[in-house]
This record gives sequence, C-alpha cells and structure tokens, in this order.
Amino acid sequence: MEIFTQLALNSLIAGATYSLVALGFNLVFGTTRFLNMGHGAVASVGGYMVLALARNGHLPFTVSVFLAVLAAGLLGWLIDRLVYAPLRTRRASSSVLVITSLGVLIVLQSLLAIIFTSQFWTLAAPSVWFATVFSIGSGNITGLQLTLILASVLIFSGGWLVLRFSDFGKQVRAVGDDEEVARIIGVPSERVIGGTVFWGSAVAGLAGVLVGLDTGVYPTMGLLLLLSAATASIIGGLGSVTGALLGAYLLGFVENFGIWFIPSGWKTAISFGVLVIFLLFRPHGILNKEK
Amino acid sequence: MAILQTHNLSKHFGGVHALDRLSIQLKPGQITGIIGPNGSGKSTLVNVLTGIYPSDSGAVILGGEQLKTIRSPEVRDYGLTRTFQEVRLFEQIPALDNILVALTERGVFRALFERHKILHQTRAREILERVGLWEKRRALARELSYGQRKLLEIGRALAMDPKIILFDEPYAGLFPEMMKQVNGILRELRTQGLAIALIEHNMDLIRELADHVIVLDGGELLAEGPPAEVLARREVIEAYLGE
Ligand SMILES: Nc1ncnc2c1ncn2[C@@H]1O[C@H](COP(=O)(O)OP(=O)(O)OP(=O)(O)O)[C@@H](O)[C@H]1O
Ligand SMILES: [Mg+2]
Repeated sequence: MEIFTQLALNSLIAGATYSLVALGFNLVFGTTRFLNMGHGAVASVGGYMVLALARNGHLPFTVSVFLAVLAAGLLGWLIDRLVYAPLRTRRASSSVLVITSLGVLIVLQSLLAIIFTSQFWTLAAPSVWFATVFSIGSGNITGLQLTLILASVLIFSGGWLVLRFSDFGKQVRAVGDDEEVARIIGVPSERVIGGTVFWGSAVAGLAGVLVGLDTGVYPTMGLLLLLSAATASIIGGLGSVTGALLGAYLLGFVENFGIWFIPSGWKTAISFGVLVIFLLFRPHGILNKEK
Repeated sequence: MAILQTHNLSKHFGGVHALDRLSIQLKPGQITGIIGPNGSGKSTLVNVLTGIYPSDSGAVILGGEQLKTIRSPEVRDYGLTRTFQEVRLFEQIPALDNILVALTERGVFRALFERHKILHQTRAREILERVGLWEKRRALARELSYGQRKLLEIGRALAMDPKIILFDEPYAGLFPEMMKQVNGILRELRTQGLAIALIEHNMDLIRELADHVIVLDGGELLAEGPPAEVLARREVIEAYLGE
C-alpha cells in the first residue's frame, strides 16, 4: 500500500501538467474547431525562454518566468494571426489547418534545436522551496511539483469563472457555436479567437517552464506535451474547459496506476490505449453530448 | 429614399446563376416581400447582403455608400441584420445570453472586465417578453422547440437595434399562434420605420403584409410592384406553377 500514495501524487503531478497544456488546446478547438498540433511546441518555448533569459541572460528568475509566459502567449497569438487566420479567411477546411499546425510544430522544434542544440537542458530552480521535499503519508512531493498542481487548480478555477460569468465568456461560446453568425451580429470574432489563443498559449508556456524545471527541456518535448494534451482533451470532451481538466487528471491516474500492473516502459502505450478505447466507445468524450 | 439598394448584383455557384444582375431597393417604413420559386435566389440575396458570400459583380448602396461587397464583420455597422431560413443560434448558451451577446457591440477587453448594465438586462427582458420567451430565458438554445428557436432568432435580430432586417422565411413551420406573434412584430417594426425584407412562400401573408413585392426567378428580377397587382400577373403565376 505504501506505493499507493506515491502513485496518487505522481498522477496528480502528471494530471496538472497535462491540464495546463490541454487548456489552450481545448480553448482553440472550442473557438476554431481544429486540433492545433503546434500548441505543444509553444509550450516548450516557455521552458526554453527561461533557459535563455535566466540561465544565459542572467535575468532574475521570476522576471524570466514572467517574460517566458508572455512570450509563449504572444508567439501563439502571432502564429494564429500570421498562419491560421488567413487560412480561416479563405475557408480552409479543418484538416488543412491540422496539417499546417503540424508544420508549425516541426518548424518550432527545428528552430529550438538549431538555437539551443538538441541537448537536454535542465533549468535551475533558484528557490530552495522548489527543491524542498515534502512527505505526504508515505509519498514524497517537491515544492515545485506542488506549485504545478496549485497552478493547475488556480488557472482552471479562474478560467472557469471567466468563461462562465464574463461577457467575454459569452463571446467565446458564441464564436465556438457559430463563428459566421457571431461576426454578423457584431461579435469581434477574430479578436475573441486571438484572445483565447493568447490565453491558452501563455498557460501552455507556464506548463513548459514548470516541466523544464521538473525534468528539463529538449527540442521534441513539445510533441509529447501535445500528445498528452490532445489525448486528455479528447477523453474529457473537445472544446470544453472542464473536459480538458477531467481528461488530463484521468489520463494522469490511468498512466501512473497502469504501471503498477504493467512495466513502466508501457506508460505511453497505456495513454494511447485509453485514447483508442474512448475513440471507439465514447468518441465525444466524457462531457460532450453526442451530436 | 431607399436605405438599401442593389445594382446589377450577381452571384453564381459553378454554372448556377443564383443572382443575375439584380437591382432592387428597400425603403424605410416598408415591408418588401421577396417571392419566387425554390432556388430562385432569395436566400442567396440575403447571404450576399450579409457577407456570407462575396458577390461576383455589381454593387450594394447602403447608407449612402456604394460597396462592391459587404464583409460580415461590417454588417452590423450598417444597421443591417437578418434571420436564417434554417435557424442559426448559439446553441450552448441560454436564451438570455443569445440576446445579450447581440445587444452590445464590444471588444474583448471590455467584454472581459465590464458586465452588462441594468439597462441591457432590462432591454433583454423586453425583447424576450416580446417574443414570448422570458420564461425560457435560462434554457439553452438547443433545448427550445422549433418555433421557440425561430422566435429567439428574431429576438436576437431585434437586440441589435437595426435599421434594416432581412427575414428569410420567418413563418415557415410555425403554428398559427406563433405566426400571429411574428405578424405583430413585423407590423410594429414597420411602424417604427425599419426597412424590412420578408422572404415568404405564403401568398396570403404577402398580400396581408407587404407594401411592395419583388419576384425573383432564376436569380433575375421577374416583376415588382404592389402585391395585388404583381401577384395577378401572368408571368408570376406561371413562374410559380412551373416549378
Ligand atoms: N452555397 C451554395 N453552393 C452552391 N450552390 C448554391 C449555394 N447556395 C445556393 N446555391 C444555389 O443557388 C440557387 C439559389 O438558391 P437559394 O437558396 O438562394 O434559393 P431560394 O430562392 O432561397 O430557394 P428556397 O425557396 O428553396 O429557399 C439554387 O440553385 C441553389 O442550389
Ligand atoms: Mg431560401
């Protein structure tokens, strides 16, 4: 039973990471109806920015993190303006957008490899608290990992409140339901999409920073982050923020408890197994109603 | 006099001439009936006028400006709005929010930090009461009945406080009770001085409501004039019988 607590903690840590990336992935899907494969790379840019600013640029750590999150948000927004928005104007199908975003993922990963080499870098956490190990029952968790879980909880509560109660939330859902009609009735749909993309990308950037601090950064980390986020979103229900949260933590638990029974080399296989099961038996996810 | 005019407006889909050098006009305080057999281009006219499709050639004269084509984000700025032949609502939000989102035009930042004022809430309530849906304000759009959905869409058009409304078959499939409600709304809007286009297949309704009738056939203007006169013309009767 001792391992149980540790596995539960590991599940929460994984779930928190996935949720932060899945948020933006699902927000973008909610307003534009396409699976944005480039999203994972935007997350990794967050981590690399801290590497560049704090480690190589000697900026204070907190300033670097702030700038990294902002940079990820702006990058996501810029890609949307320069690449996806013109495609939307030309009524490109969502498969065209998906393929394009795959290109964006590859380009960003290559750029990271060119600038930072394909080496694995660990980000140094300057605060003692981050490295402090706390014992909960028979399990251990670091301050950094607690921060990750806390960030996930806070960001999702905030996001839920904004979508539920602000008029911006109404605009987001109106655009998600029928972008064309939203435009006709005067909702600035492109700005609404831009706003959600910035928000989702900034949060993904934060995830990139925290993952970088926890395990390190490498150019292809974006793909792994993306796959987990996409799986979490599909399981939970595409386009729904609560769905992203549920799916992410469910995936975290299944992966971590799965390796109780199966060798840990199979971890990724487990998550794809779950994905396939959902695609076969509940393709619209936990939360979405069947169309 | 006219608030909206088209001049030789054309739109084709492949080989189909959905609109063929069409010149029409809408006047304030008038209901203009638009009739014509299925596929004659009535909905296409509304779609081109609201930026769903760009036109191929011709012009639209709106608020004194001559435009080559209308882009959908600008539709509201011209005081123009519409309903759809197949109702298009924001399905995942409540009826009340469907009205509120159309009530004010605001940017992302204002929408994020500023909530609707009492004034807006009151106006939204007035509109929902006008279309008989105040009791249903909390229901999601997708949970409403067919007729309620049509009325909610009309309510959303009213919420924009437009000068011109293009109604694409607002009566289709409604029970008599709801038809009366729509009737009342259209008359009221005319009294308020709005320019109204009414696409409708029911000739009794056209006779009853329209001040002016436009007949389309194959995307072209077949006839126009006062309803009693136009509906009696042989070519108009033949166009309908011929379908
Ligand atoms: N998006 C489209 N793509 C291809 N063809 C179209 C499109 N929209 C309309 N059409 C064609 O244009 C012509 C005019 O169609 P439209 O919908 O305007 O007719 P309508 O007068 O509204 O008919 P109805 O009374 O059946 O609603 C038809 O031949 C139709 O098939
Ligand atoms: Mg039609």
